[in-house]
Amino acid sequence: MEVVSLATAAPEDVLDADEIAERDRPWVTIVWNDPVNLMSYVTYVFQKLFGFSREKAKALMLDVHHKGRATVSSGTREEMERDATRLHAYGLWATVAQD
Amino acid sequence: MSRRVRSITWSITWSITADLGWESVSNGFSRTEDGIEIVLGPLQATLLVELISQIDALLEPPPVADPLEAIVGLRAVPPAPPDDPAVARLLPEAYPDDPDAAADYRRRTSDDIRAGKRDAARRVLATVPATGGRALLDDDAVQDWLITLNDLRLVLGTRLNLTDDVSADALYEVESQDPRRPVVEVYLFLGDMQDQLVHALL
Repeated sequence: MEVVSLATAAPEDVLDADEIAERDRPWVTIVWNDPVNLMSYVTYVFQKLFGFSREKAKALMLDVHHKGRATVSSGTREEMERDATRLHAYGLWATVAQD
Repeated sequence: MSRRVRSITWSITWSITADLGWESVSNGFSRTEDGIEIVLGPLQATLLVELISQIDALLEPPPVADPLEAIVGLRAVPPAPPDDPAVARLLPEAYPDDPDAAADYRRRTSDDIRAGKRDAARRVLATVPATGGRALLDDDAVQDWLITLNDLRLVLGTRLNLTDDVSADALYEVESQDPRRPVVEVYLFLGDMQDQLVHALL
């Protein structure tokens, strides 16, 4: 009798090495410069939400200010969306992207 | 980002300054042994109550078309992006280059973000000494104040067409007879408050 396994992957679900590498690229949360948010406030929010030291938070804030954007966290897509939502709650302009 | 704040005592120089009345240089936020204290003059309090009261209507979520969705509180269909640019700034697109992902993020998060901001504004209104005076803020209340002051600044900054740091710096040059001047002064006043609160937390 032919055994049909429900666990067998359909051919289209089998990824080659490039596709696996693509799938496993980490996601990032990016904060963008904006003309309203105060530098002191952005530094505070980075410390509060991510537990960064004051020095690290300030360096990231300055990256946003001078370069227009900075990556503030990386991980799974779900984690990055959670970070973006927390940043949106505090009024920062955050987006999610695959690195 | 904005680096400039004018003074730690919220000095203000607009046409209705005398009416707003910075009665005391001790007004504002300060750290005490019991927590963060806010001291407001009567007209400062009136101004804040009036502004914060508008957040609730501004962030009312768009209606849910399907009655079942309304009951379970989950949207099956993404709400349209906000028409009002100020609301759009409060609910940024998480995926600016991917309309489908952006819509799905909006479907899953925008109602909660709106609710969080409206709840924060309501709690702040409950702590404002409405006719002036002082109030003590616990840690949660401080976060509500930070979020609400910032949301007001984002809304007014959008109304003032602040698009970059240059346009934000130009606010300091707005003449006293310019029709934008009262809004500019309120915007800068809120920025002074925000900066003072952040520094009280350090």
